[in-house]
Amino acid sequence: MTLNKDFLKALEDVLGPEYVSADPEITETYANPVRHGLPVPPRFEAITLPDSTEEVQAIVRLCNKYKVQYKASSTGWLYSDPAGPNCIKIDLRRMNRIIEINEKSMYAVVEPYVVGGQLQAECMKRGLNCNLTGAGANCSALPMAAHVNLGHLSQSGSYGERNLLALEWVTPDGEIVRLGSLGSLNEWFCGDGPGPSLRGIVRGNTTPLGGLGVYTKAAQKLFHWPGPTTFPMEGVSPKYKPAYIPPNFLMRYFSFKDLDAMVDAVLKIGEAEIATELMCFNAAMMAANLATKNVEEEREIYNRFSKEVQGPGFMVLIAANSAGDFEYKKRVLETIVDETGGKPLKEVEDPENQGGYIWRYFREVGSIKETGRVLGPQAGMVGGGDCFPLMTNFIKECSKVKERLIKEGLLFDDGTAPFLQSIEHGHMGHGEVLARVSLQAKDQMAVAREINRQSNEISIKKHFGVPQHVWGDSLHDMYGPNATNYHRWLRKIKKTFDPNGASESSTYITAKE
Amino acid sequence: MSLEKYRLDMETCRRCSACKFIPFEKVTGYDHVYVCPSITRYEFHSYCGGGRMVMGTALLEKRLTYTDKLLDIIYNCQMCGACDTSCKYSMDMEVIEPINEIRIDCVESGHTLPALDRVVNSLRKQGTMVPGARVKRGDWAEGLHLKNFKKDKVDVIYHVGCQTSYNQQMWKLAQTTARLLQKAGVNFGIGGMDELCCGGRAYQMGYKADFLKQAEANMTAIRESGARTLVTGCAECYFAFKVLYDKHNLKGDVEVLHTSEYFGRLIKEGRLVPSKKVEMEVTYHDPCHLGRQGEPYIHWHGKEIITSIRTFDPPKEYRRGTNGVYEPPRDVLKSIPGLKLVEMDRIKEYAWCCGAGGGVIESNPAFAEWTALERIKEAETTGTKAIVTACPWCIKNFTETISRNGSEMKVYDIVELLAQAI
Repeated sequence: MTLNKDFLKALEDVLGPEYVSADPEITETYANPVRHGLPVPPRFEAITLPDSTEEVQAIVRLCNKYKVQYKASSTGWLYSDPAGPNCIKIDLRRMNRIIEINEKSMYAVVEPYVVGGQLQAECMKRGLNCNLTGAGANCSALPMAAHVNLGHLSQSGSYGERNLLALEWVTPDGEIVRLGSLGSLNEWFCGDGPGPSLRGIVRGNTTPLGGLGVYTKAAQKLFHWPGPTTFPMEGVSPKYKPAYIPPNFLMRYFSFKDLDAMVDAVLKIGEAEIATELMCFNAAMMAANLATKNVEEEREIYNRFSKEVQGPGFMVLIAANSAGDFEYKKRVLETIVDETGGKPLKEVEDPENQGGYIWRYFREVGSIKETGRVLGPQAGMVGGGDCFPLMTNFIKECSKVKERLIKEGLLFDDGTAPFLQSIEHGHMGHGEVLARVSLQAKDQMAVAREINRQSNEISIKKHFGVPQHVWGDSLHDMYGPNATNYHRWLRKIKKTFDPNGASESSTYITAKE
Repeated sequence: MSLEKYRLDMETCRRCSACKFIPFEKVTGYDHVYVCPSITRYEFHSYCGGGRMVMGTALLEKRLTYTDKLLDIIYNCQMCGACDTSCKYSMDMEVIEPINEIRIDCVESGHTLPALDRVVNSLRKQGTMVPGARVKRGDWAEGLHLKNFKKDKVDVIYHVGCQTSYNQQMWKLAQTTARLLQKAGVNFGIGGMDELCCGGRAYQMGYKADFLKQAEANMTAIRESGARTLVTGCAECYFAFKVLYDKHNLKGDVEVLHTSEYFGRLIKEGRLVPSKKVEMEVTYHDPCHLGRQGEPYIHWHGKEIITSIRTFDPPKEYRRGTNGVYEPPRDVLKSIPGLKLVEMDRIKEYAWCCGAGGGVIESNPAFAEWTALERIKEAETTGTKAIVTACPWCIKNFTETISRNGSEMKVYDIVELLAQAI
C-alpha cells in the first residue's frame, strides 16, 4: 500500500525531510529480526522521527486526518511490528532528554528514549536509584514505555506502573494531556493530583504497548542508593571485574528442596524487609549471567551449578545503609535460610563473581544473556502481578506444559525451574516461564502458540487471574468473560479516546464490537 | 554468496539495541552512551548493527535489492566495529563480519560508490589508497639512508602505509619513527618506493579481490626478506596485516606489532629511555583498528551443530574486543616523565570512532567530520589540550576537523611525544 503523497509531504513539513522515510530500505529494517521460513509480518509504510511532544502531536493529528494508523515505540525491543498495512512508525529515539532529576522530592522526569542505564547512572551520582525494567538497561527509562516495568529492584523499588508520577500523553486523536500534578501545577511530583488522574486508563492491565496514543514524558519515583557514584568495574568487555565489593553489599544464591520452602523463605525475607533485590533466578540464569565466552561455557557452568542446587532458588542482594544495618540484615538472612533449609551456591560467593553479579543485577545487563542467546523463537508465559504464592503456583502449573513440550522435543531442555520474583518485599509476585523453541521443531511458531494456549487455559481454569502477556483482541476476549468482563471497559476506553482507530493496537485492544 | 555463511548470526539478533550503546556496565552518566556514529548521525534503525542484520537477511531473502538508498545506508558506516563489541557483551553472533560481507557482495555484484571506485582505481593504478597524491611513496625517507628490506637483510620491517607516505603532513611521523628505531639500535628496513599498500581499507570498502592481491604480494615480499617482525604505525595497516591476513590464511608466522607495542617493548628492554620531561596533559583516542578490532583473529574449524539450540564442536571462541591493543599505547604515554593521561568517557573497546574508516572519509567527508567533531568535543571535556592517538587516519581526520571547526585541542601521534622525551 502506498501512502498518500500529501500525507508524506505534510509529515516532512512537520519534521523535515531528513526525519521521515517511506523508503523500503528503511522500513524493512524496522521489522523484528526475521528468521528463514517464518512468516514475514507487514512492514511500516513510513518511519518518522519526532523530536518533541509537539511534533508527535502533529504526526498523530495527520494520521487521524489521513486515516493512517501509527505505532510508537521507544527503544523498541519486541512488540513493534504493525499488524497490517497503512501504518507508520513513530520512532521516539530523538526524544532522549532527562528533563529533571529532583533530588529533594526524589523523582526523575524523562523522555522515552532515555535508557535505563543513563538514568540510573545519573541517579547514582546523586545517591539515588531507579527501578529499571527487567529487560535491561538498554530499554527505555520511561515507566509507561517498557511493558509493566518490573525489574530486579522491584523487591524494594516497586515497578513502573506504581512508580509512575505525572505523565504527558498525546492521546490517540492528538490532544496533549498532562496528568496528575502536571495538569494543575505544571509540576511532576504526583500522578493522581492535584489535577486529573487517568492512571488506570492509560495503564490498562499491562500498558497499551503503543495502542493508546503516545507517552512523551513521565516522572517516576526514585529510591535511596547507598552505593558508590559509579561502580568500580575494571577490565575489558565482556570480562568486567569489580575492583572491590562496596561496603555493606552482599549477594547470595540459595536453593531449596521444593517450591514451598522457597516461597516460605521469600515471604520471610520480605516480611523482614532486608533485601534490596530478590529474584528467583534458576541455575541456568545464574550461569548465563556469569558466562562470557559462549553457550558451551554457559552450559558448563550450568552443569556445575545444577549439581550444587537442590531445587528452586533465588538470588538475594543486600545493599545496606551502614555497617550495623548490614550486620543486622545479614544475620536475619542467615536465620531465615537456616529455618527454611536453604543451601548456598558457593561459587557465586567468590568475591570476583559476587561483585560482578551485584553490579550486573543493579545495572540489569544480564537480561540479554539470560534470555537472549537463542536463535529460534523464544516462547513462554508472562504471569500476572498478583500475590507471590498465587503467582508461584501459577508458574508451577505452567511449567508442566514446558516439561511436556521438552519431552516432545519441541523445546530446548534447559533443565530449569521457573523464574519468579517477589515485588515490594513480597507484597506481590510475578513469574515467567521462559522457553527456547527447539531449532528442530518443524513449526516453531506453533510451539510458541501452544505453550501460550495451554498456559492460558491453566490461568482461566484454575483462577490465576489475568497474566501480563494478554495482548490483542483474541486474548482479551478469552480472559474478559472470566474477569468481570473488563475487556468491554477496555474497549470502551479505546473507542472513546481513539475514535478513528488511529493508534495501532494489535498488542492492546481494538474498538471492534 | 558468503553472506549466506552469516545467515544464522544475523538471524540471532534480538533487536535489543545494545549495538547502539557502549556496554551498559560502563555507563557512568547521561552523556557519551552512544557508540555507533552511523545510527547516532542518521537516526533510523537501519543504520545500526541490528538494522544491518535485518538488512542482510532481507538481501538473502530478496526482500531488498541494491539501490542508491541501500548503498547510502551500507556505506555510511565507518566499519569501526563498536556494534560488534557491544553486541558481543551478551550475544554469540558475528556482527561486523556480515556487515563487511554485504559490502563485498555489493562490489562483486557491481554496486559501488564512485568515490570509492576512485580510491580503488588509485590503488590499482598508482598503488595507493590516497588518490591524487603529488609525492611518491618513499619520498618521506629521502636523506635518511634507511635500509630497504627487499635488498638488505633486516630483522624488522617498518611498514609506513599509504596515509603516512602520501600525506606530507605525516612525513614527520615516519621520520621520527625511523629515528627512534635507529636510536634503539634496531636492524630494520623499509619498503621505500616499493612498499605496497596493505589492502585493508580496500577490504573494508568491499573490494576483496584487490585486498587479496595486495596481501599476497606483501606476504611474498615479507617471506622473501626473511624478516620475522613487521612494525607499523598505522592502525589500519596493523589490522590488515595482523587480523585480515590471518583470517585469509596469508599471515604466516610473521610477528605484527604496532609502533606503540614495539616501542613499549624497547622501553622495557631499556633500549629506549624516555628521560626528558614532557609537561602535558593529554587524552588518548583508541583507534578502532588497533583497539577493539586489533584483537587477533581466532580461527575456528569444526562443526556447527543444530539440535534444540545452536552449538559448535569444538566450541567457538568469538572475537569480542577483549584482547585488543589498549594498554601498550597507554604504557608508552605513562613512561613519559611529566606527561599526564586523562581518559575520556568512551575508551578502549567502547571508544568512539574518529570517523575516517570504512571509506567514509572518501565517500561522505561531512559524516567523517561530524564523527570527529563528536570525539573532539568529548576530548575537550577532559580539560586537556591534546588528543594523542596512534593512527595517521585518525590524526588526519581530527586535524582537518579542528582546522575547519576550531578547537584548542592539538593532535599528536604517540610517537611524537615519545620522541620528545628521548
